[in-house]
Amino acid sequence: MRFLKSTSALVLSMAATLGGPVGAVEKQDGQFWMVIGGRQPVSHVDPGQSYDYAVRMMTQSLYDGLVKYTGDPPVVEPWLATDWTTSDDGLVWTFNLAPEAMFNNGDPVTAEAVAYSYRRVLDMNEGVSWMLSDVLNGDNIQALDEHTVEFTLDRPYAPFLSFLPWWFVVNPAQVEAHVVDGDFGKAWMSENAAGSGPFTLERFDQGTAYWLKRNADYWKGFPYEADDMGGIIYRLIRETSSQRAALIAGEADMVTDLTPEELEIVGARDNIDVSSTPALTSFGLKMNTQGQHMSDINLRKAVAYAFDYDTFIQVYNGNATLQTSSFTDAVQGKVDIDMPRKDLEKAREYLAKSQWPDGGLTLEYVYVQGLEQQRQMGLALLNSLRELNIELEMVPLTWPNMVARSSDVNQSPDLMAIFTTPVSTDPDAVAIQYHPSSQGKYYASHFLEDAELINMIEQARKLSDWDERAPIYAEIQQRIVDLQPEIFGMMRQRMFAYQTYVKGYEDSPIRMTSEVDFYPLYIQP
Amino acid sequence: MKRLILKRLGLMLLMLLGLAVITFTVTNIAPGDPARLAAGPDASQEMVEQVRVARGFDRSLPVRFSLYLGQLARGDLGTSVYTGRPVAKDVAVFLPATVELVLFSIIIAVVLGVPLGVLAAVYQNRLPDHAIRFLSVSGVALPMFWLGLMLQWYLSLELGLFPLGGRLGIFDDVPPRITGMITFDAIFSGDHATAGTALKHMILPAVALSFPALAAIIRVNRAEMLEVLDRDYVVNARAQGIGPFRIIAIYALKNAILPTLAMIGLRFGWMLGGTVLVESVFDFPGIGLYAAKAAISSDFEPIMAVTLILGAAFMLINLLIDLTYALLDPRVRHQI
Repeated sequence: MRFLKSTSALVLSMAATLGGPVGAVEKQDGQFWMVIGGRQPVSHVDPGQSYDYAVRMMTQSLYDGLVKYTGDPPVVEPWLATDWTTSDDGLVWTFNLAPEAMFNNGDPVTAEAVAYSYRRVLDMNEGVSWMLSDVLNGDNIQALDEHTVEFTLDRPYAPFLSFLPWWFVVNPAQVEAHVVDGDFGKAWMSENAAGSGPFTLERFDQGTAYWLKRNADYWKGFPYEADDMGGIIYRLIRETSSQRAALIAGEADMVTDLTPEELEIVGARDNIDVSSTPALTSFGLKMNTQGQHMSDINLRKAVAYAFDYDTFIQVYNGNATLQTSSFTDAVQGKVDIDMPRKDLEKAREYLAKSQWPDGGLTLEYVYVQGLEQQRQMGLALLNSLRELNIELEMVPLTWPNMVARSSDVNQSPDLMAIFTTPVSTDPDAVAIQYHPSSQGKYYASHFLEDAELINMIEQARKLSDWDERAPIYAEIQQRIVDLQPEIFGMMRQRMFAYQTYVKGYEDSPIRMTSEVDFYPLYIQP
Repeated sequence: MKRLILKRLGLMLLMLLGLAVITFTVTNIAPGDPARLAAGPDASQEMVEQVRVARGFDRSLPVRFSLYLGQLARGDLGTSVYTGRPVAKDVAVFLPATVELVLFSIIIAVVLGVPLGVLAAVYQNRLPDHAIRFLSVSGVALPMFWLGLMLQWYLSLELGLFPLGGRLGIFDDVPPRITGMITFDAIFSGDHATAGTALKHMILPAVALSFPALAAIIRVNRAEMLEVLDRDYVVNARAQGIGPFRIIAIYALKNAILPTLAMIGLRFGWMLGGTVLVESVFDFPGIGLYAAKAAISSDFEPIMAVTLILGAAFMLINLLIDLTYALLDPRVRHQI
């Protein structure tokens, strides 16, 4: 597969150099349809079931939440809810709904619909349910009147609001009409929409393309005047080289998965714009702090100081930024910490204090099979560790196998290459990754357990006053760095390429690596 | 003949059962927690356990296998753990696409391969033979995806003669579903414009996929023809003044074609299971991509379904080839 990728890159470099036809945008039946090429198929469009970036792109286009993430840095903006209040004890959250909000079939969006939607997800116990199931019981969601809904939490939970952008409101009448054998309407909702979002589902051609028709009467309107914008087609183009070819040939208006090298090549063309912006996603080499080797903090520190951090940037052609804290830049309350950087003297000092003062051990590095950048990082690590007389065994695994190994403390490897995208900008979303409650999830393959850290995390998430929380999170960041459960890596840029006639693109670091918000996009030749 | 067919069909069922046992065991003893994958990366342990019980992953392998067989007997291919979609629904979309692609590829390989094999044999060690042998060696040596990329780059991107990929243009209407094979569905519906568009989309992936089969057919047919052209009855036919075309096309080719026929059958089976690279390059939504994604995700019910369907197809094709053998060769017919 790696050979396939490099050959593809070579062939399409030739293509880009030699030029080729340039596509001109054309209207279909008097409307512009924007074609966005991506690799991930959409398995369903139900906001209550499991999610990935493709599902999320579709659900946030078909549905509305009470609030929505926008901008850089990301902020929670009122959406279906015009405003909200919180009780002094942080338990009761009351939201006022926009009275003009309508479902796409013409029904009004009511407080009952909001309560129904949240209860549906909590009862299904799938998808985004994990975000609130520990603090919210479906019985404690009340419609106070047609446009006011109240949530009473089991205990104070400061990050509550930061998760709500991923909880979408469905039309109870449409869902209930399609419930079969108590399935919560899941079968119907997989390929049909019952939302109030800016788009309606026009076609769902599995494995090929998914059509979203712009709802010109969307209750919230659009941030542009282009009435000839017909909609968005999310088209599957699985190979990055094919994405590039489609962009060059004008068969795609925007593509989501080009490599840094490919972006450089297409970006040189006059008719193509490239966007490269920092993401909330972090990349690190997680170390199993309960494993045979990495339970020794001196060894962890030695490895961290031996690594050549420039590699993180080089493998992405400069489209990445080193982490300057255990939290990434867009996380609320992030502070700059003095991070380990390559310093062989320090590395040897720490190694001398470890159980292996002269090295002579072999560490295991596990990464995703086929991800060339992760392989290159492994090679850099291998080089660095040789200076400490430490060998590195590089083990490529498929993602399911990595997930399996990361969920078991006895199988979790010494080092594992992991990308992590928090679903919220609240610092708790990152801090909780270092709490024992996250063990079993792929991003907690470090199995870190530190009493002081646990206390701080649990204390901070209960407070509602940011001024009280902020200093605790500053301490948490420092503590995590001190404990060195991973080689803190970098924030990869989110990179997209699109035709110059594509307008309105807005980035927000909160989005997953290849995720695009379709709402503000339009075509203006 | 009837007895042979029934016997072979009975054997097929036994072989499919064996295939099911092997695939089920291998898929289920491979590392990985399907419940965790199904619940999602952020799911709580409680959510993971809920999925485990709901999908029966908490039961022993023999129990799960017997349940799976019962499910198959009811015609239910199961549900993808990863996407939550019914496997039968996905297979119904992706399998016809691949069958259509393989059909066109095998047609290209046979229509070009048989005459070229004959030509190479007739002009042995002369220029046409050298040129054809160069082509057949290239067919074996050239990686399919590389050829696909080259065709895509030059004929699509540079010359704009063919679309880059897909089965139809993004704005083309899909004809009413009859077989799931778009070209045929369009023809059956009388929509010749769409049939033309579908064919245009089919040409490059079909050519790329057909190349290894074309090479194999040329080589086998050439070798067989060389052997047959030296036989006494051919010499005798020549002596009797029968025209060269008649000798080659009727007497020699009929006898040389049997091994080629076996090769065509084998290649058809291999192609069905080996389309993933071509599908990937040309974004052709077929069963190869579906199976590859399922394998990477350890998604066992799609893997089982694709393996059994392709296994059954392979066995059926071989049965058909054997029957065709019997029709063409009276010696084989009498042995049955």
